[in-house]
Amino acid sequence: MSVLSLQAISKSYGPIKALNEVSFNVPQGSVFGILGPNGSGKTTLLSIILDILRQDAGSFSWFGQPGSPETRKQIGALLETPNLYHYLSAVDNLQITQAISGRGVPADIDKVIDIVGLTARKKSKFSTYSLGMKQRLAIGAALLGSPQVLVFDEPTNGLDPVGIAEIRELIKNLAKQGKTIIMASHLLDEVEKVCTHVAILKKGTLLTAGQVDEVLANEDIAEVSSSQPDQLRAALEHFPGYTSIKQDGKNIQLYFPVGTAKLEDINRFCFEKGVALNLLVLKKKSLEAKFFELTNE
Amino acid sequence: MFALLKIEWLKLKRYRAFWWMLAIVMLTYPGINLMMYTLYDTITSGKEMTNMLAKMLLGNPYAFPESWHTVAYFSSYFVMLPSILVIMLIANEYQFRTHRQNVIDGWSRQQFITAKMMGVLTVSIIVTIVYTLVACAFGFASDKMYYYRWSEQLQYIPLFLLQSFAQLSIAFLLGFLIKRAFIALGIFVFYYLVIENIAASYFKYKLHLDIVARLLPFKISDGMIIPPAFVGHWGKDAKQGYDNALSDVPTQIILTIALTAIIWYICYTVQKKRDL
Repeated sequence: MSVLSLQAISKSYGPIKALNEVSFNVPQGSVFGILGPNGSGKTTLLSIILDILRQDAGSFSWFGQPGSPETRKQIGALLETPNLYHYLSAVDNLQITQAISGRGVPADIDKVIDIVGLTARKKSKFSTYSLGMKQRLAIGAALLGSPQVLVFDEPTNGLDPVGIAEIRELIKNLAKQGKTIIMASHLLDEVEKVCTHVAILKKGTLLTAGQVDEVLANEDIAEVSSSQPDQLRAALEHFPGYTSIKQDGKNIQLYFPVGTAKLEDINRFCFEKGVALNLLVLKKKSLEAKFFELTNE
Repeated sequence: MFALLKIEWLKLKRYRAFWWMLAIVMLTYPGINLMMYTLYDTITSGKEMTNMLAKMLLGNPYAFPESWHTVAYFSSYFVMLPSILVIMLIANEYQFRTHRQNVIDGWSRQQFITAKMMGVLTVSIIVTIVYTLVACAFGFASDKMYYYRWSEQLQYIPLFLLQSFAQLSIAFLLGFLIKRAFIALGIFVFYYLVIENIAASYFKYKLHLDIVARLLPFKISDGMIIPPAFVGHWGKDAKQGYDNALSDVPTQIILTIALTAIIWYICYTVQKKRDL
């Protein structure tokens, strides 16, 4: 079942089309990454599904129902920046989150403050926190009452490397508990490490969406090398079934439609042509390579 | 409804400006009235003919039941103090972007406005309580002879509440639409103190359109609490003016309720439609 379903969502700011008929489904239990360069519409998309912005056209549904205050109460969300009262402490802020959302019991407040590592400063005013601490508290607010769905917009913004690693672990743990996590990011490494699904946006248009493996593996890349690169290249050009060939120094990359690269066949073919290989490996495209390929078109 | 108010209280209880405003209101309401009372006392307590004459003309504006009226009139000049608080309350939400987070966390857009309306109503009730205490104190302290008339003119309590709520609603609307505290405050103060008074005088004395002057946003609710009775004691014209203003009060009450309803209708409609 889909936790979230988007149907042809469009949104313009004056002449600028921020989202153009974006549709996809977020399956239950997935860690769904929304990727895109700055200004691609990620935050606009998240704002629409959280009822902060009104879409011009299209619709969305949470748990099979139209978005409403009741559906939002079941979602822990951090949008853009930590939105909390500057003159209140962590505890006072989370009391407000709890009172509005109805998520969790008072004892949970200390629990989530502990999870995000702010126990020692829980009574300090939010305005005295560093950017990283503010971000942590906003994540803590989203975790309050352990909602089944979490929406994070750039969750590692402002965090130091240790903080980034901690949040990554946290997200992995949440995923293990079966929670659905929807996460916008421009940090590809981040998404590749934690996401099961990904949607890529560019200038408001959805380029692709699906399981990370599927999105990345639309091509098999066989990388081969030999001490005789020229003969190897000449031989491989006669190998059947590849779609393109690239040479990077001594290494040659053969691109095949997904699932069709057979390393044994390549090895046998080269050997029969009198070229011995010293490297033969099946590679997957990195998300970064895929991202640049898609967004640079 | 009560749950919304409780959440507004969570936001407010540790907000220093709220307690400062309360403290200042606690001081200014008795302060301005004490000033006026001292003035009255000075010009009426001598033994000369003029003192006697002044006493005869003024009566005692701080004795029951006129105390309810006089204190309401002078205190209402200080609506600016709670207005600052009301503008801060809404502008803070924009500054901290909590107007978004409240909705993300599960309020409907309308609930956000309802909660704010409850907040404005609460501030109005608080200043009305301060007014009531001050009017009571003056009534009891200034002239023992009239204690027995304490329960006359109690209508000024709900009128003061309505006037406070109506004028604070205008302040809220400015803060809600302008979003920035200092710009909203600047416009509010400039309009309240300067523009409206100039406009009112222009319509009233230059164009002789008293009806238009009475329809200006603050003048509508000012017309419910007219100047104290003694202003009508200075000749035929003054008496006529006072009687006219008094007979307009019911109309001004209806207009005030209508304007306040329109203001909150605008808030609800804008909140429903706009991007947060």
